[in-house]
Amino acid sequence: MKKLVLILKSKLVWIALGGALFGVLFSLGVYEGLHRTSDDRFCIVCHEMKPMVAAYRNDVHGGAGKSGIKVTCVTCHLPQDNVLGYIFTKAKNGVVEGAIHFFGNVDAIDWQANRVNKDHFVKDEGCIHCHVNYRDNANISEKGRSMHAHYASLKNTDQAVGCASCHAEVGHQGLRSMLNYYHPEYDYYKGKLDKYKDAVEKKLAEEMK
Amino acid sequence: MRSKKTLFTVGFFVILSAVSFLIASEGSPPPASPHVAMTPELKEKYPIKAHHAKLSLRCTDCHEKQGDNPEDFKAIGDEGCLSCHKTKQYLADRLKFMDALHVNPHNSIHDGPKLYCDECHNEHKPSDNMCLSCHSNDVKIWMRKTP
Repeated sequence: MKKLVLILKSKLVWIALGGALFGVLFSLGVYEGLHRTSDDRFCIVCHEMKPMVAAYRNDVHGGAGKSGIKVTCVTCHLPQDNVLGYIFTKAKNGVVEGAIHFFGNVDAIDWQANRVNKDHFVKDEGCIHCHVNYRDNANISEKGRSMHAHYASLKNTDQAVGCASCHAEVGHQGLRSMLNYYHPEYDYYKGKLDKYKDAVEKKLAEEMK
Repeated sequence: MRSKKTLFTVGFFVILSAVSFLIASEGSPPPASPHVAMTPELKEKYPIKAHHAKLSLRCTDCHEKQGDNPEDFKAIGDEGCLSCHKTKQYLADRLKFMDALHVNPHNSIHDGPKLYCDECHNEHKPSDNMCLSCHSNDVKIWMRKTP
């Protein structure tokens, strides 16, 4: 009994307890912060993300499949191999993209042209985290399996390819059309696709209520 | 006595790690189709499209079950192309925005999604957009150069 009182009186114990509590609360805060800024509801806060989110919501990865499963934006677009890299990239992207949104000219961004960099902004480890047996799943066509073996054989070489190298619109069904509704690739289409864009906006507004 | 034992143990682990390294670095199983050794002459004679070259595709990835002599290879037909590119309807859907103005080459007002791939697309020589044979002035404002 006496010993217990003595322990409770020691400053060190209180500091340790306070530290532990602070640590738990801090982690909880970081977790909540990361969690709430991971899905399409957050990403669409910036209006320039509308075509991407709309196409994502038409895709099996965006909840359009039979099972209703949805992966979040960050599952595919942030590195998943270690937690520190994940948090660092998320923070860095937040600052860079926030700055572009507020101080840059987002309407001048040529998203269609940027798609050549798709291997850079689709992270294969995110895909493979779910599609674990992409090499030997019997439901994949023979051609698909042989191409996936090809993919695996090029990994870590200077000829390495990414999932998105072949799976061009993966995660965003009809992305090219959607981008064209917002910013047509050719002048010929300008002003002639607005009714499609309006329909997309209406559907999005309905879904995001 | 003791040093002999240590030596044995160390040797054992060295061999074991060498073996596991070899196994790990072997990677994927070799492709099922026969291999065609790529030479600069072959590359010049049968150039492939940049988007296919970027994927490091090999001759036999397309010319399946056609042996290993490029001189004997035959055109792979729609079935060959679609073994990767899914279906004609899928390809038409990817250009849906062009349907709004009836200029989708994969779902044209004349032919629908039914044309043979090689009516416009070639692999080992420049492609040749069939739309141009009538719409010679308009095609360039509707779409880019046929890949």
